[in-house]
Amino acid sequence: MNRSLETIVTEWVSDNSKVIDFGCGDGSLLKSLADSKSIIGYGVENDPNKIHGCIKNGISVVQQDIDQGLLEYKNMDFDMAIMASSIQCLRKPKEALQNILEVANQCVITLPNFGNWELRTGLLKGKMPSSSQLPARWYETKNLHLCTIADFEELCETEHFNILKKVYLNKHGNTSWLSDYSPNLFAAEAVYLLGK
Amino acid sequence: MKVHTEKLTFDEPIKLESGSTLSRFELMVETYGELNQNKDNAVLVCHAFSGNHHAAGIKIEEDKPGWWDQIIGNGKTIDTSKYFVVSVNNLGGCNGSSGPISISPETNQMYGASFPEVSVKDWVNAQKTLLEYLKIPAWEMVAGGSLGGMQALQWSISYPALIKKAAIIAASSKISSQNIALNEVAREIIRKDENFAGGDYHLQNIKPKKGLKAARMLGHITYLSEANMRKRFGRKLQSPETKIDEDVSYEVENYLQYKGEQFAETFDANSYILMTKAMDSFDPAKDFEQDLVTCFKQIKAKLFIASFNSDWLFPKEYGKDIQLSAIKAGVRSSYVELEGDYGHDSFLFHSDEYAVSLKNFLESNE
Repeated sequence: MNRSLETIVTEWVSDNSKVIDFGCGDGSLLKSLADSKSIIGYGVENDPNKIHGCIKNGISVVQQDIDQGLLEYKNMDFDMAIMASSIQCLRKPKEALQNILEVANQCVITLPNFGNWELRTGLLKGKMPSSSQLPARWYETKNLHLCTIADFEELCETEHFNILKKVYLNKHGNTSWLSDYSPNLFAAEAVYLLGK
Repeated sequence: MKVHTEKLTFDEPIKLESGSTLSRFELMVETYGELNQNKDNAVLVCHAFSGNHHAAGIKIEEDKPGWWDQIIGNGKTIDTSKYFVVSVNNLGGCNGSSGPISISPETNQMYGASFPEVSVKDWVNAQKTLLEYLKIPAWEMVAGGSLGGMQALQWSISYPALIKKAAIIAASSKISSQNIALNEVAREIIRKDENFAGGDYHLQNIKPKKGLKAARMLGHITYLSEANMRKRFGRKLQSPETKIDEDVSYEVENYLQYKGEQFAETFDANSYILMTKAMDSFDPAKDFEQDLVTCFKQIKAKLFIASFNSDWLFPKEYGKDIQLSAIKAGVRSSYVELEGDYGHDSFLFHSDEYAVSLKNFLESNE
């Protein structure tokens, strides 16, 4: 978990709110939100080793493939849903976004920007590019639906997902004038707060 | 590992959910390890329907490990060098606690069929009396599989202030129509044994062993997975020298015959009926207008819910349902799906994922 991302989400989440983190990893984001904002947090994760980490950290976690049954968590009074760096791994990202907005009125989505200039130049060399956000080789990656910031924001517009807030980060996980100036070219990662 | 076994007598009445009262009652208790000075390392383990107080270690007179010996012990998942583990034979059982084969203080006769119906809630109430007797402020964890998991869940609902963690393994918040049906077939087999005598077989000094054996054979099949039976027995024929009975052809038949017979020698038929009835009637939501979420809002403990993929008797959906209601109620809770090779019985056996997750849960901070 990137420190900046943690800081951003901490700013966006209200005290004592009920939060679900899809693809929660070892639960470190939920743990930090529980410590700083007294949230009631639940993680959803399918990797046994990460689940062990959650349980060890005292984080509530449900073992589940997030490609299946996001809607099970509908009507559970979640104030915020989080899906960090996972949307591009899902089989049906558009439906997942629709569903996650059914689970909570506000959703934090983060995604790696495939439009970043370093990736573009990598591709110009004729090979699948890699970066710190996208380290895996093409045959090992879990990413099924990579997109650029422009692609994602276009989808949000056509599907009427309201972008309430957004932050663009460079490859070091920091905001910078360059990634704000031309995010699709210079940002490595985008963080959104979506609403219905 | 320090082991202590004792039969405790409580000279106070206990009112049962059925409306009956036991004027006094006995509990057969076994403990492992030692209570620390802060008295915050006590773990209650609850047995499934045919289990008893002997949960861990090997009894010298029986040479038989306890039912959760793979989980409880020095350096094991529930580590007795750190935790003080308490195990109790439940009311209605037949291993020392008040039940059909114990003597009624009113009549000075064996209870037999007159032993009142017991419920999971009754067991939890009796265990609470034990907690007070032991002068333990609260359980660090209550844990169990199957019917034992139901007790752990009931504990978290009945006494929220007296339990910090509940491990609910291969269990359900209420059993299905199919589960009740299987239990009823088992009971019918027992009741129709010519030696059952309406449950008062003890008066004639006979036992409905044939019925009890057949009921157990049926039950045993439901505790195993198809894959496990295929792997263990396949269609192998039993060798003639080791056949328990002339009619046996396959290994699996011989195994069930043997297990059934062993069980019928040691278990009591009335207890079997009482225990299965307690399982059928378990439904904590019934005190909350059938709303499990409202029911779960009582809970203060952290829950660990685990299901096994190979369990078809209590399939993983049962565990997931508990988890979803817990989330809805805002209860801190985790749910894991474990592989488990043994079907429903998987909760009894050590496997790495199972051990790590349960241990991490027990040893996690508040």
